[in-house]
Amino acid sequence: MNVKQEPKTFGEVFALLAGLWRDNGALGFLRLAITLGKTPTPAGRWWAASVFVAAASALFVLYQLATVGHKAFNTSSDGVNWGMAISSYVYFALMSSGLTMVASLGTVFGFKQFLPIAKRCIFLAIITLIAAFSILALEIGHPFRMLWSMPTGLQIHSPMFWMGVFYSIDLVLLFIKFYLLWQDKWDTWLSHAVGIAGFVAVILASGMLGLVFGSMVMRPMWFGPFTSIYYMLTAALCGAAAIVVTTYMAYGFDSKRMPAGLRAMATGHDMPMVFATLIGLTLVMFVTRFWVGLWTNQDGMEGFKVLAKTPLFHIELWVGLVLPFLMMLRRPANTRMRYQIVAAFLVLGAMFINRYEFIIGGQLVPMFKGLWVNSLEPYVPSITEWSLSIMGFAMVLAMYAFGDKLFDLSAAPDEVEDLAAKTQLEAA
Amino acid sequence: MAKWGMVIDLEKCVGCQACTVACGMENTRLPGEHWQDVIFFKEGSYPNAQLKWFPRPCMHCENPSCVAVCPTQATYKNDEGQVLVDWERCIGCKYCMIACPYGVRFYTDEKPRYGGPDVKDVYQSDDAHSWNPPWKAPQEDWKHGVGVQPHDVVSKCTFCHHRTSTAPKGTVDLDPQNPVTRDHTPACVVTCAPGARFFGDLDAPESQVNRLIAEKNGVRLLDHLGNKPQVYYLTGEGGSVPADRAVKPKV
Repeated sequence: MNVKQEPKTFGEVFALLAGLWRDNGALGFLRLAITLGKTPTPAGRWWAASVFVAAASALFVLYQLATVGHKAFNTSSDGVNWGMAISSYVYFALMSSGLTMVASLGTVFGFKQFLPIAKRCIFLAIITLIAAFSILALEIGHPFRMLWSMPTGLQIHSPMFWMGVFYSIDLVLLFIKFYLLWQDKWDTWLSHAVGIAGFVAVILASGMLGLVFGSMVMRPMWFGPFTSIYYMLTAALCGAAAIVVTTYMAYGFDSKRMPAGLRAMATGHDMPMVFATLIGLTLVMFVTRFWVGLWTNQDGMEGFKVLAKTPLFHIELWVGLVLPFLMMLRRPANTRMRYQIVAAFLVLGAMFINRYEFIIGGQLVPMFKGLWVNSLEPYVPSITEWSLSIMGFAMVLAMYAFGDKLFDLSAAPDEVEDLAAKTQLEAA
Repeated sequence: MAKWGMVIDLEKCVGCQACTVACGMENTRLPGEHWQDVIFFKEGSYPNAQLKWFPRPCMHCENPSCVAVCPTQATYKNDEGQVLVDWERCIGCKYCMIACPYGVRFYTDEKPRYGGPDVKDVYQSDDAHSWNPPWKAPQEDWKHGVGVQPHDVVSKCTFCHHRTSTAPKGTVDLDPQNPVTRDHTPACVVTCAPGARFFGDLDAPESQVNRLIAEKNGVRLLDHLGNKPQVYYLTGEGGSVPADRAVKPKV
């Protein structure tokens, strides 16, 4: 079992870092920072590569923005206004919301078997939301102006305004919740209150992100209250897939190294069932959405026919959703680590395609154009846009490796460990 | 306070694009950044195909969805019914472009629409402007989206705010034939050779635009979306308003 010594106060964190600096000298400290300690955690193996990729892609994007500007993006006023950067933002923002929802299973709804992943979920929710905001900041024209013009503008009719409000509240609550879990305050009044408030905030935030698109009557492929529900539930799926991958990653993809409580959860019945249920719900919504889109003659819905013809659509549907669904339905396969990891990776890939397809697909039919736009809008992401998405992934990996080194992300209340040990004893 | 509106008589419009050119000159637009455009489209198929055209400025809607979605209130509707952009507030999120059913909004920093060199690079600006055109109209008012815009903002037709805002108070018809009001009339209306465009106060019952709407059954574009444009089209026998997107995309 991997038991970690975690600094418990900010004073201890600084003392630890100062001690390392004193003992190893500035150069040695730098070397330690680059290698993330003498004994890197399994997730820490990703550290150096992910930091390098995050830095390289961020520098490339910044260089492009400084020299070429936003025309380095392949978006256009005539067609696709919001490109891959926005779809990546939505991907990470909803992943963050989903992770908070999964954490809430244990911290809000009292399913104690999910408590061993709660702290990891909250940490991941913070870093995925930071990645999402970073991508968005590089996509929009004047990100710093937003800081004063949104609070002073106070456009309460705008779904985007509320999205900003709810995601900001969400981020603050996530920080507070993580601090409380860091201090092992699992069962205090404040911890429960913050947990509940965080869950409410995340439902509002993901739902409001859906309404950014769902309120647009002039964009029929997005319009309707369904979009909001679709975003909330697919967010939960994304969160579940992300926590499966990252939890195994933290133990070098070897469940034997996990603490008892965590292993009991991973190899037990509950996690695969939650995962399978969420894939199933997503499949139902996915098929419903495309059924209506392909069936209807309504103007503007032609994009669905185009999407259904693309290989990406079929990869997403069959490989990314149906296959993992079948894998997670069957017992005992669904309790095996390898199946869970493959299913989670496939779902994460499918959801990335899903966000892209949703955002880009919804803009494929040009709004009001003449003969020079005689077909659907062509759009292929530029290298800068790809770099921005890669930056998001690398940022999450790097921050995760760092967090996994610094914190005991598998920490859970003692009662959960006792419960798991008892269950295993009984089973034996 | 007037509520400015436009009437376009499709029976008179010849599709010459003079309005598009006049708008580009008056407002110093980039090539392809057509605040005002004439859309050409076809109806029917061989042997019954018809080539049609359709002039399309910003509709300056009564219920503008672009204003409602703008998270910073950079896009706003002024007291005279014009939908404008405050370039000092705009964060360039492009939500208004997503929300405009008429496709009349433009982001500054994009690849040139017509290929070839980017004029923004050819005529580079050394200040906050997005480019430094060799000739430009003198007026500039970033609070109302007038003049050469800064980087990374969204621009749109202003109904020539810099001209209409100086119109004598109480004017109900901004008639290009009238020497008193000509300089206060939007450039596209002044330049229209067949006289297909009319501009005036939609709140004044006696205005020419209201008379024309009543007499010739003025209709509005995509009225079912509820944005209630302040641009009306007269179809009569010779013109038609596309019921939806001008041209059906080939799938």
